[in-house]
This record gives sequence, C-alpha cells and structure tokens, in this order.
Amino acid sequence: MDISRNLYAILGVPPEATQDDIREAYRVAARRFHPDANPNEGADILFRDIAAAYEILGNGLSRSDYDTARRRVREEPNYFTLRVTPSKRVLSVMQEPQVIYLLVEIAPMRQGAQRQDQEARLNLTLVLDRSTSMKGLRLEKVKIAAHQIIEQMSPDDILSVISFSDRADVLIPASRVTDKMALRSMVSMMRAEGGTEIFHGLSAGVEQCQRHLGPRMVNHVILLTDGRTFGDEQQCIELAEKAAKKGIGISAMGIGEEWNDSFLDALASITGGTSAYINSPAAVVRFLNDRVRSLGDAFAERLRLAIAPDADIALESAFKLHPSPQPIEIHPQPILLGTLEISRSVSVLVQLQIPPSPRSAFRTVARLDVTGDILGAERQGYKVLSDISVEISEHPAPEEPPPAILDALGKLTLYRMQQRAEEAITRGNIAEATRRLENLATRLLAAGQENLAQMAIVEARRVASTNMLSEEGRKTLKFGTRMLLALPEPEEG
Amino acid sequence: MKTCPYCNFDNREGVFFCEECGQPFVGNQAVATSQLMPEDQANSRGRITWGTARFDRTSSIVVHIRDHPDPISLIPKDEILLGRSDNQSNVIPDLDVGPYGAAEQGVSRRHAAIRRGEDTLTLVDLGSTNGTHLNGQRLIPYQPRVLRDGDEIRMGKLVMHIFFK
Repeated sequence: MDISRNLYAILGVPPEATQDDIREAYRVAARRFHPDANPNEGADILFRDIAAAYEILGNGLSRSDYDTARRRVREEPNYFTLRVTPSKRVLSVMQEPQVIYLLVEIAPMRQGAQRQDQEARLNLTLVLDRSTSMKGLRLEKVKIAAHQIIEQMSPDDILSVISFSDRADVLIPASRVTDKMALRSMVSMMRAEGGTEIFHGLSAGVEQCQRHLGPRMVNHVILLTDGRTFGDEQQCIELAEKAAKKGIGISAMGIGEEWNDSFLDALASITGGTSAYINSPAAVVRFLNDRVRSLGDAFAERLRLAIAPDADIALESAFKLHPSPQPIEIHPQPILLGTLEISRSVSVLVQLQIPPSPRSAFRTVARLDVTGDILGAERQGYKVLSDISVEISEHPAPEEPPPAILDALGKLTLYRMQQRAEEAITRGNIAEATRRLENLATRLLAAGQENLAQMAIVEARRVASTNMLSEEGRKTLKFGTRMLLALPEPEEG
Repeated sequence: MKTCPYCNFDNREGVFFCEECGQPFVGNQAVATSQLMPEDQANSRGRITWGTARFDRTSSIVVHIRDHPDPISLIPKDEILLGRSDNQSNVIPDLDVGPYGAAEQGVSRRHAAIRRGEDTLTLVDLGSTNGTHLNGQRLIPYQPRVLRDGDEIRMGKLVMHIFFK
C-alpha cells in the first residue's frame, strides 16, 4: 500500500466522506477517464491511479488500514507545485468547435527539500564529435569546454567522455571526478579524423552513463556534433527511447549548418532533454557550460507530465516554454519534461479543442498529472495533479487572456509559421512557402526582430527563385524564432 | 469562427493569432503591421511607417500617377480593374492608364484589380506579363494583398500611389 499519496485527493473527496460518496466519486471519475469511455492516451494513465485509489478506499476495511497508516507518517512537504491556467475561464455557447490553451507551470518548493544545501549529483556523459569537419577551431573550443566542465564538477560527480567519428572511443570511462589533471589530458588527446556516425558514439555514451545510473542522480548524455549521420537515425531514436525508460536524458547540440536538426530535436524530445543550434565555434563553450550548470541545479529529475482531456476534448499540441524552449511530442504519454531546476520553473503550453457546446453549463476540461524524482529528499515518483474546468455561458463577460499565455502564443505562432513554410517546401508548394515566409517577415518586424525579419525576406526570395532554403537561413529562422520564447515577457500593463 | 482581417483565413474560435498568417486578434489591434521593403530599408535604414488599412463604406480612393499632376478619383466598388484599353480588344478597365503611356511601360490590358473586402481593400495581380509590385514587393499572381493608405503600386514600369479619402 502506497501510503505516501493522498488517495482522497485523487478521487476528489474529503477524508470524512462516506463509502457512498467514495463510490459515487469513483463512478464519476470512471465515466471521465475509463479507457472504454475516453479514447485519449493520457486518460488511461490517470485512470490507473483512480482505480488504485478506489481499490483501497472503496473497501471499508482496507480504507481504515490506510487511514491508520497515514496517521502514523508525517505529512509530506510540497516538493513542487502544479499550476494550470486556462486561456479563458468562461467560454461562449457555440455550435462549432473552439480552442482553449492551458499554461502548465511546475514550480519547485525549495523549503520542501530537507537537504537543499546539497547539490544534485551529476552522472554526466559527454559524447563529442571528432570527425574531420571538426578540425581546427571547433575541436579546440570543444576541448576548452570539456576542460571547464571537468573543473566545475565535484568529486562526488561522475563523468565519462566519448569521442566519435565513424567509430567511438571511450576517452574517459565513467568514474568520479577526482584526478582532474589526468581527465583533462585525456580530453586533450582528441584528434579529428573520419566521418560522422552518431549511433556508435551515442550507444557508447549511453552504455557509460548506465554504469552509474542512480535514482538520486541526474543521469544525462550531452551529444555535440557538426555532421549529419546516415542510415543509423532510426537506431539512434530507438536507443534514446530505451535510455529514456531507464531515466537517462539526452541533450543534443549542433554546430554549423550540416547537422540534421529535426533528428536531434527528436532525440532530445523523447528523453526530456534540450537541443540547441550553435552557430559559431566560439559559442560552444558557453552552450555546453550552460547546459551542465542547469543540470547541476537540478531539484527534481525525470519530470513526467500526463494530460488526460475529457473524452470529447482533443489534445492538439504541447510546447515546452521554459526553461529552454523545446517542441514536445504528445505521444507517447507521459511526456518527459526532464529536469526541474532549484530556482526556475518548467512551463508547457497545451492546446486543446473543445467540441460544439450548445448549452450553458459548467464542464470539466482535463486532468493533468506531474510526477518527478526529488533528488535532495530521496523521494521518487512524487506526484501532483490538477483538474481544470470552465464555465460555458450564453453571454460571457469580456475577458482578457492571461498575458503570459498571450505572450507565449505570439512567439510560438512565429515558430509555427516558419515550420509551416518548411513543410510547404517539402510538399513542393513554392508559392505557399514564399507567402508564409513573407508573412513571417511581416510578423517578425512587427515584433521588433529586424535581423530575423531580414533573414526571412532573404529566404523568401531564395525560395521563390531556387525552390530551396539555405541551410544557414533555415536553422537561424527555426532556432531564432524558438529562442524568442526564452526572452522575458514584457512587463504587464 | 473568426475570420482574419488580414488574410481572410477562417480560424476556430478561441485562437489569439491567425493560424495562417500570424495576425493577432486581441490586444491593441490598432498597431499597424509594417510590411518589409528591403530596397527602401537599405536606403533609409529606418522603420517605415504605413497608413491605415481601414477602408470603410464612406471612404473613397484617389490615385496619383507618377509624373502626372492631376489625381484621379475612383468610385469604390467590388472590383476595380486596372489596365489599359486599346482599340483591338474590348477590355474597358475602370482605371484606364492607356493615356499615361501604359503600353510602353509594360502594362497589360487586364493587369491588376483592387477588390473591396470587409473594411479593407486588396490588390491582386491578374497574371500580368510584367507583374505588379506593391511597395517594391512583387505580387504572386492571383494572391490578394491588403492595400494601405499611401501604398505604392507599380504595374510594369508605371508607378502610382494610392490614397484613401
């Protein structure tokens, strides 16, 4: 019996509820989330918890056992909170479908961690590309970055370093960071040669990371490459899926123009990691250090979000806004969100479609559930949930959407416009792609992003005459519009 | 349904930005969306400000053709055809630029049209030989673009400015 969880909250009844109340609450919840009644993927996940809670509370005997056990344990602190804000609290009565957005914010509660002074222990693996194209400045900067990371790490941390080209070498096998001098010299020996085959490097990296896999650690692989891998992308994705199941996150960074961004995005999204575009060798050091620092600030790891819309509501998309903007796949659920840092919240914007609502009513929209491992408190599988409902009214009072949602959507719209222009080129619809890029330029200019706007107009012309985007332009627009989401919101009012 | 005032795309209720062109639907709608004009930007390096796109039932149109002093007033209707008349075809444009040396400047007989929408005017190129430019940007044929007060229209080499009164 898992007594760490408040089962009454899962069923939405007070602790003094009668058996009849509990049975009724279970029936209502089952109507919403039973897989036979609700085809949405997340519903299944939420229903398992509801069924488990009812199994204990639905029976007077096991319920009193649970109550007794609960009284003996100290109330668990709140490790993190989940706040969900809908774009509208009151919707109009309408004969057609409408869209609603949910801003999901997960915030760490620092006082919840008993040993908050203790830093999270890192189990970090660097997988570094040393193919011929890395020769010169790029490889030198990578070495400098690796040296700095070694310096930053504490003797309790575990580091491994893989270098790869068309084969992989374990430069530093997974070990504690004690003899920093020796580790640095091993990194210095890296030489550029050969082609890029990411699978070799990645599988060696995951293998090393696995050796010290711990539930109380941040287990993470950082892949840095400047090339395109051929033929082994599917293998890499499968490897990432396996790594994610074991609790290993993967962050992917691409240098220069060659690498396959949608592949690296997928690698990162599957595991709750991040992906980034590094446009100059000089930026390598900063990017890598930032990533490692953010992992070192981990408060909770393996954050997982399950979204269960009501049966008639469709989940359309989700996008991670903070701390680093990242497109996320809504399948499979739960969605992996990676690390929750000690001083920064994680937020996600979710888009749902509500069916025609012909009558005024109060209705439930969705239930969301976030699970994570609290590193300092040695608490695994800490869960919080939130249930969202709205009013549907004949004459809703005019309502300003929350500024945070509006701001995020405005920027996300730019990112999506750029994505749709790319899709149009893939389909061969050049007129559409040109139009989308021109629209993007207009919006970027209105948003004060003159450099990106110029880039969009140059690329629009290039597409009109050559039917193609330049790789540099494509990546700059994609990651440039994505990074707009990382900018602070304008002041309210 | 929410129809975008900029591109006429039908959006679902509840969206805050047009899913087609990114036009914001909420907040300060009066913000003029500037259109990018690379040539002029290179010259002035400043932000270009544009006139209103609003054209309601009481508005009328005045056109100035470059190098010709007299403005031409147009009566707004659903479609105003721009082109040049000649004696071989029976095309009679609403704005006939034949007298302004149009044939030499590459204006087609049926060159472009100004269409009236909900509170806006759009300019559309009718597949002309030498193309139509709006503020220096070449229009994709049959793809309407919103006109703003003070916009520069170029048909072939013939340049004119349009004003809302």
